[in-house]
Amino acid sequence: MKPNDIPPGSLSLLILKTLSRHSEMHGYEIAESILYTSGNILEVEEGSLYPALQRMLVKGWVTAEWGYTAGNRRARYYRLTPDGRKQLADELSNFERVYGAIARIVQPA
Amino acid sequence: MMQLLRRIQMLFQRSRFNADLEEEMQLHLDLRRQQMMASGLSPESAHRETHRRFGNTTVLRDRSHTAWGWGWLESFAQDTAYGLRSMLRSPGLTLVALLSLALGIGANTAIFSFLDAVVLRSLPVKNPSQLMMLGKGDDAGVTDDYGSTTLYSYPFFKEFREKNTAFSDVATVFSFGDPMYGTLDHRDRMQLFVRDIVSGTFFSTLGAEPAVGRLFTPEDDAVEGKHPVVVISYAFWQSAFAGAPDILNHTIKFADTTFSIIGVASPGFFGIEVGHAPDLWIPMAMMRSLPVHYAGYNDNFFQSNYIFARLKPGVTPAKAEAEANVLYQQITRGFPDAKLNDYNLAHLQKAHVSLTPLTNGRSFLRASFADPLRILMGVTALVLLIACANIANLLLARSTARAREFAVRQALGAQRLRLIRQMLTESLVLALAGGALGVVFALFASRILLRMISGGPDVDLIPLDVSLNWRLLGFSLAATVGTAALFGIVPALRASRVQITESLKDGLGSSHSTTRNPLGKALVITQVAISLLLTVASVLFLRSLINLTRIDTGFPRSSIMLMNIDSTVLGLKGEDPRMIAMFPQIEERASAVPGVQAASFASFIFHQGSWNGSVNVPGVPFNDQVSVRHNVIGNDYFKTMQIPLLAGRAFGPQDNATSHKVAIISESMAHDFFPAGVNPIGRHFFHSRTPSPDGGMEVVGIVKDVKFGHLDEPRQYIDYVPNPQHPWSYGTLVVRYTGDFNTVSAGVQNAIHSVNRNLPIGQVTSLDHVIERSITNQRLVAQLSLFFGLLAVFLSAIGIYGLMSYIVSRRTNEIGIRMALGAARSRVRWMVMREIVRLVVTGIALGTALSLAAGSLVRSLLYGISPNEPASLAFAIVAMLIVALFAGYLPASRASKVSPMEALRYE
Repeated sequence: MKPNDIPPGSLSLLILKTLSRHSEMHGYEIAESILYTSGNILEVEEGSLYPALQRMLVKGWVTAEWGYTAGNRRARYYRLTPDGRKQLADELSNFERVYGAIARIVQPA
Repeated sequence: MMQLLRRIQMLFQRSRFNADLEEEMQLHLDLRRQQMMASGLSPESAHRETHRRFGNTTVLRDRSHTAWGWGWLESFAQDTAYGLRSMLRSPGLTLVALLSLALGIGANTAIFSFLDAVVLRSLPVKNPSQLMMLGKGDDAGVTDDYGSTTLYSYPFFKEFREKNTAFSDVATVFSFGDPMYGTLDHRDRMQLFVRDIVSGTFFSTLGAEPAVGRLFTPEDDAVEGKHPVVVISYAFWQSAFAGAPDILNHTIKFADTTFSIIGVASPGFFGIEVGHAPDLWIPMAMMRSLPVHYAGYNDNFFQSNYIFARLKPGVTPAKAEAEANVLYQQITRGFPDAKLNDYNLAHLQKAHVSLTPLTNGRSFLRASFADPLRILMGVTALVLLIACANIANLLLARSTARAREFAVRQALGAQRLRLIRQMLTESLVLALAGGALGVVFALFASRILLRMISGGPDVDLIPLDVSLNWRLLGFSLAATVGTAALFGIVPALRASRVQITESLKDGLGSSHSTTRNPLGKALVITQVAISLLLTVASVLFLRSLINLTRIDTGFPRSSIMLMNIDSTVLGLKGEDPRMIAMFPQIEERASAVPGVQAASFASFIFHQGSWNGSVNVPGVPFNDQVSVRHNVIGNDYFKTMQIPLLAGRAFGPQDNATSHKVAIISESMAHDFFPAGVNPIGRHFFHSRTPSPDGGMEVVGIVKDVKFGHLDEPRQYIDYVPNPQHPWSYGTLVVRYTGDFNTVSAGVQNAIHSVNRNLPIGQVTSLDHVIERSITNQRLVAQLSLFFGLLAVFLSAIGIYGLMSYIVSRRTNEIGIRMALGAARSRVRWMVMREIVRLVVTGIALGTALSLAAGSLVRSLLYGISPNEPASLAFAIVAMLIVALFAGYLPASRASKVSPMEALRYE
């Protein structure tokens, strides 16, 4: 089956969670991680990661630093900040609330 | 907070930001492509698939940018840059637009700075709104009238201060006084000082603080003659002492008394009189020690001062006024030497002290210039409106040319708001450039205006602070933004309301709406109307001014020189025989100077103040409502001024200090004060209400009426007395001469010094100049309204020319067809002119209606002419027609020269 597009609004949650699992990643790695961890079900429009990451940089949820990949290419590595962890916790609890409610409604009667 | 800092940091690192993002996204694309190729796709497919999965890099870059929140700033910068570029692309039009804006905004700012300084600004003292003045402050001088509520005596002030409960402090200041001569330290030469004589409570009531040393206290004013101290102004400290730090060791000598300087007032402090900046303040206790030797300190009825006070917090003006009136009656009646006869009591009973707020201080300028300044403010606002209309038309024309650009942008998804924002930004750029230029222009204009208000090139500038300040800049900014909105908003709305398919079509499409252009026409009609109004106004003011200058003053004005001597420095009393003898001596020596036909002293020549009072003619009922002006003169006065003697004789050596008192009266005084059919010559009259024991003055001559104080005054009653009988240590020598002014003036000054070397001579001027200066505000209004009227007409002409050129260019196609079908050139010309005539006539009709309606606003400023006077209106209409038709003729003749082939060519 073709991978699904992610639900709108959940991109930042996915990115934050992915970053919380690994200390630092660059954009390509984040995209691969989401695809892989979701079992190839969730496909992100890969470019849209970058505006999202910029937004997180503005808000101070992540920091970025230039480093080198294994293949000796320059890449920008992102890390979660304490503010970012807090945001992750907030979004997670919100997510669980909303989707828990949806799940209750669509439960077989 | 941190977020803001991060965002600001990004602003400074923009180019690196772009490069970083570029590199980042490129890495992602490369890695994805490698992965695709590794899983078996061909390079082309891998490339295609990668980009498909990545998304539109341009949009993504844009969204990344927007995330930082500076989008609005960047589009603003973009719009500004675009605005500047398009301004530079048509330099001629931009120059005209900028100049008209600069003149409009600059003129408004300059006039507002004066309006602010003279009328609106509060005194630079503590809490000026608490300050009140007793009476209306509309008079200056000395009076002993009972019931005068403007001028008060010093003893009255002392009692009032003691007895009142409504005011936290009370002060008093001498109401008049010319600059007086004195000596700084031990210098050789005397110089003039502008002074104020004040009570010890003056500075504390105003809440002033010293810059150096201390200011007066009530103890400095306690005993007459015992406090030789002065406070000097900050500006005087800088100019006369170069800001010397040991200023408190310096002295100033007036007459026989040396005053020590005890303090310097703070910068900008000038007291309560706007337009008057004294060099120093002297305590009232010292008024007799000054050269003029005022004797009023202990005189209960030497009413020479203004009284002002600070309200206690919580006390209403009404309550204070009530108490002031009670105290007024109490104190005046309580004076031991009060003459409480019926006459005085009647006046006292009628007297009512009103409290006038002193928030804006008192000002002699305000009376003359408040109305002219307001009118000029209206005029400059109208000129600015005309300039805005021009620019609006310009922008409308340009926006139509850009219709295709906007159509394309909207088709590509641009929002209407974005386009409007861009156009408004362009307008703002133009307006700000014009406004900045305008502020520069205003700085120059202010200087010129101050020179004009002060009365001409040979007078000292009035000390008015019209320098640039925040209020002024704020006003300019508001005017600028207002004009940008005014001329920018309609073109912006117009331009963005584009029908996309219509505009994208090839060719001109439907030229319908653009050639009709009702808005542009409405703007031109408004311009013509306003210009007509301003032209009528300038013609009216000019004619009024000419009427004034043509007034017969009663004496020939040219070739008369005036100079002031200050005889008070001699230290002699006016009655001293040496003083009395000195004046005829000077007159004699001066008359002997080559070029001088006659010379004489007088206390008042023209527009120099007055000494007036009522007269009592025995046998005629006494009328105290009519004032007679008294003039103390030398024997050759009428000869010098060439005032005709109608009967009797002039004064001569036989009229001296011991001979019986004589007077000469003016023609209308003879007619109105003495019984009909009786020859006034030989009759006696009195300068006081009750006949004096010496029998009064005998009338020995009658002279023709002359103007005394103002050109447009009603007929005045004047009587003349010889100096030996009313010693007046007066100062103005009037000289009738032929030849070169400077040579004769030098000769006369030498003659004066040959009599007494120490006499200071000043204010050498001609009578013509004095008369000119007396109508300064009328001249100001006339000159400025002429300037602005011409400017308005010029701008309207440009507007007409611009609009017609534009309309012709849009109709080139139509004109070409007509000419190809056989229309003559003259027909085409007439076709265009018809448009213009319609516009101009409508504008003129509207303008005429406006002029008639607004006439009553300026009635008070006109002399000898009515605002609705038809000749001025007719002249203005004709002038406007000529200019407008000429401006429109050029595009019309250009239209007729269009070659049909060119016009019909594919656009």
